[in-house]
Amino acid sequence: MTGARSVLPKLAWHTANLGLPVIFVLAPILSFILISVWTLDHGHVIARFTLANYAAFLTDGGYVSVYGTTVLLSLEVTILNTALASAVALFIFRRAVRIRFLLLMIFVLPLFMSYIIKVYSIRGILGQRGLFNEGLLALGLIGQPIGALLFSRTAIFLTLAILYLPYAVLPIYLALDRIPANYPAASVDLGGRTRDELLHIVAPLAMPGIVVAAVFTFVLTFGDFVTPQMVGGTEGFTFGRIVFSQFGLALNWPLGSAFAVILLGTALMAVALAGLFLRKEHIR
Amino acid sequence: MSRRVGSLDIGLGIVTAAAFTGLYAPLVAVSALSFFQLVRLRGVMSFAPFSLEPYARLWVNDDILSALMTTCFVGAAATALALGLGLLFAFYFVTARRALGTLMQVLIFLPFLLPPIITGLALLIFFRQLGIERGILTIIVGHVVFIVPIIYRTVLVRLQLLGRSLTEASLDLGASQWQTLRLVVLPQLRPALIAGGLLAFSMSFDETLITLFLAGSDTTLPIRLWGMMRVGFVPEINALATLILVFAACVTLAVGLMQQRAGNRAL
Amino acid sequence: MPTMAGRAQRADDVARPGPAGSSPASLRPQGAPADAPNSGSERLLPLLHVENVTKRYGATTVLHDVDLRVADNEFLTILGPSGSGKTTILRIIGGFESIDRGRLMFDGRDLAHVPINRRPFNTVFQDYALFHHMSVRKNVGYGLRVRGTPRQDIARRVAEVLATVGLDEFGDRYPAQLSGGQRQRVALARAIVCEPRLILLDEPLAALDVNLRAQMQRFLKDLQRRLGIAFVFITHDQEEAIVLSDRIVVVRDGRVEQDGTPHEVYHRPRTSFVANFLGENNLIDGKVSGVDGGMVRVETPLGMFAGTASGPVSVGRPVLLAVRPEHIAAAPGGANEIAGTVTDIRFLGPTATLDVSPTTAPRLTIKLRQLGGAVAMAPGERVTVSWSPADTAVIAQGPTEPGRAGSAPP
Repeated sequence: MTGARSVLPKLAWHTANLGLPVIFVLAPILSFILISVWTLDHGHVIARFTLANYAAFLTDGGYVSVYGTTVLLSLEVTILNTALASAVALFIFRRAVRIRFLLLMIFVLPLFMSYIIKVYSIRGILGQRGLFNEGLLALGLIGQPIGALLFSRTAIFLTLAILYLPYAVLPIYLALDRIPANYPAASVDLGGRTRDELLHIVAPLAMPGIVVAAVFTFVLTFGDFVTPQMVGGTEGFTFGRIVFSQFGLALNWPLGSAFAVILLGTALMAVALAGLFLRKEHIR
Repeated sequence: MSRRVGSLDIGLGIVTAAAFTGLYAPLVAVSALSFFQLVRLRGVMSFAPFSLEPYARLWVNDDILSALMTTCFVGAAATALALGLGLLFAFYFVTARRALGTLMQVLIFLPFLLPPIITGLALLIFFRQLGIERGILTIIVGHVVFIVPIIYRTVLVRLQLLGRSLTEASLDLGASQWQTLRLVVLPQLRPALIAGGLLAFSMSFDETLITLFLAGSDTTLPIRLWGMMRVGFVPEINALATLILVFAACVTLAVGLMQQRAGNRAL
Repeated sequence: MPTMAGRAQRADDVARPGPAGSSPASLRPQGAPADAPNSGSERLLPLLHVENVTKRYGATTVLHDVDLRVADNEFLTILGPSGSGKTTILRIIGGFESIDRGRLMFDGRDLAHVPINRRPFNTVFQDYALFHHMSVRKNVGYGLRVRGTPRQDIARRVAEVLATVGLDEFGDRYPAQLSGGQRQRVALARAIVCEPRLILLDEPLAALDVNLRAQMQRFLKDLQRRLGIAFVFITHDQEEAIVLSDRIVVVRDGRVEQDGTPHEVYHRPRTSFVANFLGENNLIDGKVSGVDGGMVRVETPLGMFAGTASGPVSVGRPVLLAVRPEHIAAAPGGANEIAGTVTDIRFLGPTATLDVSPTTAPRLTIKLRQLGGAVAMAPGERVTVSWSPADTAVIAQGPTEPGRAGSAPP
C-alpha cells in the first residue's frame, strides 16, 4: 500500500506512523521518568537534578511497607484468580463445542461493564447494611452483621479478585482452545486416562496462557487505586493510591513520579519474570 | 475431549458456579435494587414494591445525564480517531521493514500492557510540560492512546489473514492504490473495524483510572459516579447501573456473534 | 511362536493397565521371531470380527450390515471412495464411535463396553497427531508412560522401536523439526511400542508426495511382516491397496462390495463398482446364453463372447462382461473378437492407450493398453481387437446393478 513516487510522501508516511506513538507514548513515559529526578521547590517543579525522591521512598515513614503489603496483596489475588480462572477455563473447554461460546461470553461480559459500577455493586453487597449481611441475617445464619467485610483488607482483596477475574479467564481459555483437536483422541488411543491427558497434554500447552493471566492480574491489581479507596476505608492504602495522591491534594509531582517509576519497574519485572518462564516451556 | 462426566467435571463445575456467583451477584443485586428499592422503616429493612421511580429520577438528574453525554461524546470521538489511526498503523506494519514495524507495535501496545495509572500520569505530566490544560481534549487523547491497540490488533489480524493476493489482483486489473484501498481492502476489513470499534467504545465508556488523571472540570460518567459514591447514596445509580449492564450485554453479544460469523465464513 | 494362551494373557495385560512392568509377556525380548504371514486358510478364530454392524448418524445410515474379519498378522485394507464409510469402520474398531446394531468381537469377546484406552489397538492418525510439545522420544514413550512402565524399560523399548523405524538418531528432536516422512515413522513407532494386537492406519500416506509414498509403502509392508502385527489400513487409492494388502475389503456407501485377495478383487470383480474402482475396465452388457463347465457364453450387442463367471449364473441372466484394457490385443487371434476403428492413441510413458470404436456400435469405446514402445497404428485405421475368455470376468447383475456397455472412466 505504499508506492509513493517521491520522497516527501514516504517521509510523511514514516513520520506519522513512528512519530505518533513516540510522541504520545514514549515521550510521556520519558517525561515522568525525568520529573522523578527533579525537585519540588515551594510548590513548583524546577529542573534541578536530585535523587531525593527515591531516597524518600526508602527512608520516609511507611512507603516501603505499603509497597510491600501491596505486592503481597497483588500476589494473593494473582494466586487465587489464576487458580479460579484455570478451573473456569478448563470447565468451559471440556463442554460441548456449542455451549463453550456462550459460557465464555458469560465470563467475558463483565469486562464491558463500567468499572465504577462494578466496584459500587460489590460495595453495596459487602456493607454492614449491604445485601450480603442482610441476607445472612434474614436467614438467621448470623446474629450481627459482619463488619469486617467492608472497609478492610479483605474487602479490597475480594473486590480486586472479582473485578479482574475475567482478565485471567480469557488468556487461559485461548491457550486451551489452541490445543489441536486430535491430541486428546491420540492420548486416549494410546491408553491414557483423563489424568494423563490433563497432566501431559493440557497443562503444558495451557501454561503460556496461565502465565499471561498471572502477569495481567498482578500488574493490574498492583496499580489499581480506585478500589482500595472505595472499599478499603482507612485500610485502603495501597501503593497505587499513594502514587495517585501525590497528583491530587499533595501536589508533589516529582515524588509521585518517582513512585510511579518504582511501580513501572515492578510491573516490568513481573513481565520479565513471566517471559523467562515462558521461554523455558515454549518449545516450538 | 473425554465425554464421560467424572468427578473432575463436578469439581470444576462447582468452582465455576462459585466464580459465576461472585461475578454476577453484585450486578444482579444492583439491578434488582433498581426495581425494588430498599427502604428502612423504623430500623427494619424491607423491599418497596416494584417501581420505576429510580429510572424516572435518573431521567431528570442533570448531573448524571450531562456526564453521560460527555462520556458518549468522548467515546465516539476517541473511537473515530482510533479507527483511523488503527488502520494507519496496521497498514504500516504489513508494508514497512520488520524492525520499524516492530518498534511501532511495541510502542502502540505499551499503554495497554502497563497499568492504567502509569499511562494516566505519564500523559498528565506530558501535557503539563507542554502547557496544555486538562479538558475534554486531553481526556480524548488519553482514551485514544488506550484503545488504539485494540483496533490495531483486530485490523492487523484480519489484514494478515487476507494476504496479498486480493490487492495484487486488483492492481493487476488496473486499479490505482487508492481505488484498491477503497473498493477491495476496506470492505474486507469492515467486520474487523466494526468489532474493534464496538470493543473500543465499550472500553472507553468504562475507562476510569486514566480519566481521573486527565479530566479538568468536565466530568465523564465514571468520575461523576465516583464523586457521588463518595458523598452518599442516590437511587438513580442503581437504575443507571442496570441500563449500563443491559447495554454491555448487547455489545458483547453483538461482537461475539460477529466474531463467530467471521470465523465460520471461509476466507 | 507364542501360544494362544500366551497371547490371550497379553491381551488382558494391555486391556487393563497394570502395575509397572509386572508382566514379562508385555515386554517381548528382542529378536523374537515374527509369525509367518497368515495364508488365510487357517481362519479358525479371526482376531477381530466386525459382525453385521450398522451405524447411524441421526437419520442417515452410514454403515449397512457391514461384516468383515481380520486375521492375525494380516495386512487388511479397507478400500473405498470418500464417504463410503471406511473411516467410520476404523473409528468403530478403535472405539471412537459406537455401534447401533451388530457386534465387535475380539478374541471371542464383545468389545462394546470397552473404552478406547483399554482396547489393545493403536491408531496412526491421518495427520499423525504428534504432540508438538514433546520430543520424539517422549511421544513414542507416551503409551508406556501412562501405563506406569518403569523408566529404564521405557527408554529401552523406545530405543528399540526407533531403531525399527530407522529413526535411531532422532530421539531428541521435536516434531516441528522433522519432515513429513519422518513424522509418519514417529507416529508408527508410537503406535507400535505398546505391542498392540492390531494397528489401525487412517490414510497415513495421503499427505506424502508421490515418490515418498512409494518408499513408505514398501516400508510399511516390510514393517508389518517383521512385526507380525495385524494392520487395518484405510485408503481410497486402489493401487496402494493392491500393492500393500494381503486382503482387500471394498466398501461403497456403507456396504461391503467385495472381500478378497488383491488378485481376486482385481481379476474377478463381483460387482461393476469393484470392476471400475480398481483400475480401468471395459464393461459390456449382455445376457447368458449358455453355461459350459467353467465357461459362460454371453450374448451382447457387440457379438457373442465367452468368459469366466465369478459366481453362479443361469441361462438368461443379465450379466456384465469385464475385460481389462491390458488384456486386449490390437490384433485378431483371441476367442473374443471385435472389429472397429482406432479413434485415439495416447502415449503415457511406460504404456500407451488406444481407443477403438466398434463397427457395430460406433458410439462406444473399447480401451486398450499396451507397452508404450511399439504402437504401429494411427487414428482412423481399421483394426480387429481380441482377447481370451480367461481374462473375461462375468459379473451377475442384480436389480441394484446398473450395467453399461463400453468402458467407463475409472
